[in-house]
Amino acid sequence: MEDFKPIISDCINGSRKAQSMLYHQFAPKMFGVCLRYAKDATEAEDNLQDGFIKVYANLKNFRHDGSLEGWIRRIMINVSLEKLRKQHLLYPVEDVAIYDSVNFSDDVIAKIAADDLIKLIQQLPPRYRMVFNLYVIEGFSHQEIAKEMSITQGTSKSNLARARDILKKKVHENYGELNAQNNYTA
Amino acid sequence: MKKDKNLDELFRDKLLNYEQEPPAYLLENVLAGVAGARRNRKIVFWRISGVAAALLLAFIAGWQINFRNGQDIKKDVIVSQQSAPEISAEEKTELASSTIANQPENKDSNTENLSEKVNSQRADLVHEKQIKKSESKSILKNSGNEQMALANENYKLASDGNQNTADRIKTIAKNSKSEQITSSDESLIAQKSDDSMLLKPFRSLFRLKNGGMENSAKNLLAIKKEVPQAARSEKTIDQQIMEQNRQTLMAQNQAKGKSRWLVGAQVSPEYSISRSNHSQVYASNMLNSSTNPVDLGGGISVELKKGKRWSLQSGVYYSGMGQSSGNSNISAGKDFAFASSNRGSEYFNTNATIDASNSKMMMNSTAGVIEFKGIPAGIELGANLEDKTMVSNAVVVSNARFIQNFEYIEIPLYLRYTLLDSKFDVEMLGGFSSNLLVGNQTFMESSAGKNRIGSTKDMEPMNYSGTLGIGLKYGLSKHVSLNVEPRVKYFLNSLNSNASVTYKPYTIGVFTGLSYEF
Repeated sequence: MEDFKPIISDCINGSRKAQSMLYHQFAPKMFGVCLRYAKDATEAEDNLQDGFIKVYANLKNFRHDGSLEGWIRRIMINVSLEKLRKQHLLYPVEDVAIYDSVNFSDDVIAKIAADDLIKLIQQLPPRYRMVFNLYVIEGFSHQEIAKEMSITQGTSKSNLARARDILKKKVHENYGELNAQNNYTA
Repeated sequence: MKKDKNLDELFRDKLLNYEQEPPAYLLENVLAGVAGARRNRKIVFWRISGVAAALLLAFIAGWQINFRNGQDIKKDVIVSQQSAPEISAEEKTELASSTIANQPENKDSNTENLSEKVNSQRADLVHEKQIKKSESKSILKNSGNEQMALANENYKLASDGNQNTADRIKTIAKNSKSEQITSSDESLIAQKSDDSMLLKPFRSLFRLKNGGMENSAKNLLAIKKEVPQAARSEKTIDQQIMEQNRQTLMAQNQAKGKSRWLVGAQVSPEYSISRSNHSQVYASNMLNSSTNPVDLGGGISVELKKGKRWSLQSGVYYSGMGQSSGNSNISAGKDFAFASSNRGSEYFNTNATIDASNSKMMMNSTAGVIEFKGIPAGIELGANLEDKTMVSNAVVVSNARFIQNFEYIEIPLYLRYTLLDSKFDVEMLGGFSSNLLVGNQTFMESSAGKNRIGSTKDMEPMNYSGTLGIGLKYGLSKHVSLNVEPRVKYFLNSLNSNASVTYKPYTIGVFTGLSYEF
């Protein structure tokens, strides 16, 4: 973390070279984050761009008491959340569809490439995608998710469950050879 | 539940540290966005500075006007002070005439009576004078104690009849005059010392509001008029010359300090010089700006001249500017071959983008993105050709040039300083202007003529510019002057708000016109 202090200082002073260095250091990882939260690569690029502009604008507020990567990642997540809020995608009509729950071997997912998993996540409805990412990947609790997204914990749990179901179904559809066992719910 | 946890872990393991290289152009966009944000902060700074400067200038102008009003009122008071010696002269005349009339008959026997008479008259006059002085002093706000002391002294002098009458008269007259002058000088000094620069506008404002004060000054003038002409005839020739000189000097000082207004009209050919910076991505696909047409500008000016040297100018000006864009020449490749063989025309290796939603065509220029209303006649788009192997999709084949015109209404605030004040004045001017965008047109000029085809996107509706110039003024008559003013105008902020474009042209103009002074 100490290593970034001179670069951060130069970035604050408007050095393009330092800004480029910081970008090259974190852009690939942050693009991975943005891809998970976006519906496609174009939206992820927009979020990454907006996120880095915010990073440079707010670098002077970075306190150096935590990981810079974590701080930048949090900005990227906030940008995605903000975009969802603006698009009113956090308050969709409740999804009343009933999804089939399928079971399959863990090996199936283990064999799927990360790129393909991200494409599956991108196909989730925006709110489910957000809850899934925050809970499963970022490790947020339902309480924290409820606070961030202004929803109830119950909704968060329900959205997560549905996100999982959809993902399972899509894995089943796209990658076959699964030990499917349909459970119909009333 | 366990299955779900396994699923979550599988996703987390694969995606938590997932990395993917973003497209290369994103860095350029990010850096341009950061630069744009910094520029916006600068624009906000300039806007606030502009407003602050305008407020400061308005305050100074208001202060100067108030200051002048304050001086005018004070001059009235000075005139009333100058009436004091005239009272002494009158006193001297009356007393001297009665003395001369009595002297030949019986100097000794009449001395006592004359002394009493003179003393009596003197007492009345001094008493009257004290009343006048009291009014004058009340305006000047001098202390009442000084006034009382002066009155007592005069009364004492008037009642003392031991000296020779003629000498007494001279002494009384001299004392009275010197006292008056001293008193008026003291009043002025006291007034001046009280008049700190900051208090002047408020003092004059107070005076303007207080009608009673003004009335007192008018009363003093009326009293002065009541002084008989005979008193003036008693003055020696030297005194009269001195009085005349003093009045001439005062008139000159008044004329010098008086504000004058100048109203004028000017026109100018304006030549704009493009100065622009672009992001790498934008510039890699941009029309080549080659020539800058000469436009016409001009307007009406209003100038407030304070004193001999300084003046403040504003007004309303129209200012036109623009640029003509062509294409960089490339003499090879299939696009060139297609353009030269089939059409006999140039082709634009600047890619045109088409907005699918409204079929608008767009091309990058140095001043910003040109947005076409449609696909203009006379233009062949590679994408529209049936055989797309002949020419690139985004290529535009045409022998046209694009002319971007921008029209502004300029409201300047210039400060002018006269370097040489004679029949042929030389002035320096500098200041800031607010420029409102009122026209934004793009034309296509080809062998078929000149047609309007659209406008430039993202042009800022309000811009700020700085101006420097030299003014040459030749007086045609007492009131009318001919002006020739070479000026350089530089835009302080980018005329285009596109983050990838910084467009700050210079404008050079020679403003010529007439001004009327009153």
